[in-house]
Amino acid sequence: MVWTGLLVGILFGIILQRGRICFNSAYRDVLLFKDNYLLKLYTFAVGLEAVLFVVFAKLGVITLNPMPFNAIGNIIGAYIFGLGMVLAGGCASGVTYRIGEGMTTSWLAGLSFGLTAAAVQGGVLSFLQRGISKFNVMVNHASEVYKQGSGATLADVFRIDPLLMAIIFAAALWIYTFATKTTKRETKMDWRLAGILLAALGVFAWWTSSHAGRIYGLGITGGWVNIMNVLTTKAKVNWIGAEVLGIIIGAAISAVAGKEFKLRMPKNPITYVQVLVGGAMMGLGASLAGGCNIGHSLTGVSLMAISSIVSTIFFILGNWTMAWILFGRK
Amino acid sequence: MAKYEVTKLLDVRGEVCPVPDVETKRALKDMKSGEILCVWIDYPMSKERIPETVKSLGHEVLEIEEVGPSEWKIYIKVK
Repeated sequence: MVWTGLLVGILFGIILQRGRICFNSAYRDVLLFKDNYLLKLYTFAVGLEAVLFVVFAKLGVITLNPMPFNAIGNIIGAYIFGLGMVLAGGCASGVTYRIGEGMTTSWLAGLSFGLTAAAVQGGVLSFLQRGISKFNVMVNHASEVYKQGSGATLADVFRIDPLLMAIIFAAALWIYTFATKTTKRETKMDWRLAGILLAALGVFAWWTSSHAGRIYGLGITGGWVNIMNVLTTKAKVNWIGAEVLGIIIGAAISAVAGKEFKLRMPKNPITYVQVLVGGAMMGLGASLAGGCNIGHSLTGVSLMAISSIVSTIFFILGNWTMAWILFGRK
Repeated sequence: MAKYEVTKLLDVRGEVCPVPDVETKRALKDMKSGEILCVWIDYPMSKERIPETVKSLGHEVLEIEEVGPSEWKIYIKVK
């Protein structure tokens, strides 16, 4: 069932490319340009996906598997990832879909990200991950929608039914989404449509990935690690590796069809050094945090996982720190 | 290309996100009222985001001209 990963990836790549969905921009635009367009796309999608996840889990279609909380990984790893995404010129998903658009800086950033992540997840730097994983906190859930021994969610913290929790969570996000002013932007895909597509694809991804033996939804980091392992060892392509390949293919199709494909190169070659360093920081940070802006911020926050909420806060703080250092000072 | 009396041309093709946006903001700060800035970009997202940022700062977007495959020139009149 690995091919379903490729299918999900292609659809994801098209949505990311058309919707211009980059979390690096979403976090940063609010700070630098007072622009909330992408952040609203995100809060809208996550609220919807949170409800959908619990509904489909209650129907018995999927089992939810939130990532374990890890105070050190979710704070330090996530902060390093946040710093790195600004240097790399995109988050994990942003860099991956821009590879398909012909952004040469993203080619390097993606390779550097994948190589470093593979080094931490099974390579020469795996002692770091082994050391940090000792601090994983797993819980047994009161609700049957969650896999036992996975990470705590808001529903566990407040001791209420996951569906009620998801509705409260979505309501809070949607109050922000619809009761505050949205920055205008002329785009090819309306942010509300992109949000609905993202949430629906998130649930579909979870279902297909579970059938391939991987109980999780959309992600990026694990896919890059798999691609690196396939290239250098006898490892086989798995669901998430196929998904990442699909994103690149989908974004390329979408960019070519929209006449937006172009080999883009910066005039100052030092930019290539910057994105290499940024990609490496992202690979290290995401591996320590247990996921990137998709695994945590999109999928994990939709699960209402404490690990993912904490990681996302530190992705944003890292992003703001580096954005301020590079671009914010007058 | 003598459509506008361009005071300054900012070529940010190929730069990583959000360099085009930031350079545009910085250039506008150093310019005088009535002068025209031309921002030359090749990334579609910049074409969508820069005009909105510029407008929110009170400047006038005169035109977004397509000058090649995935290349645009944004003409901005400083307030």
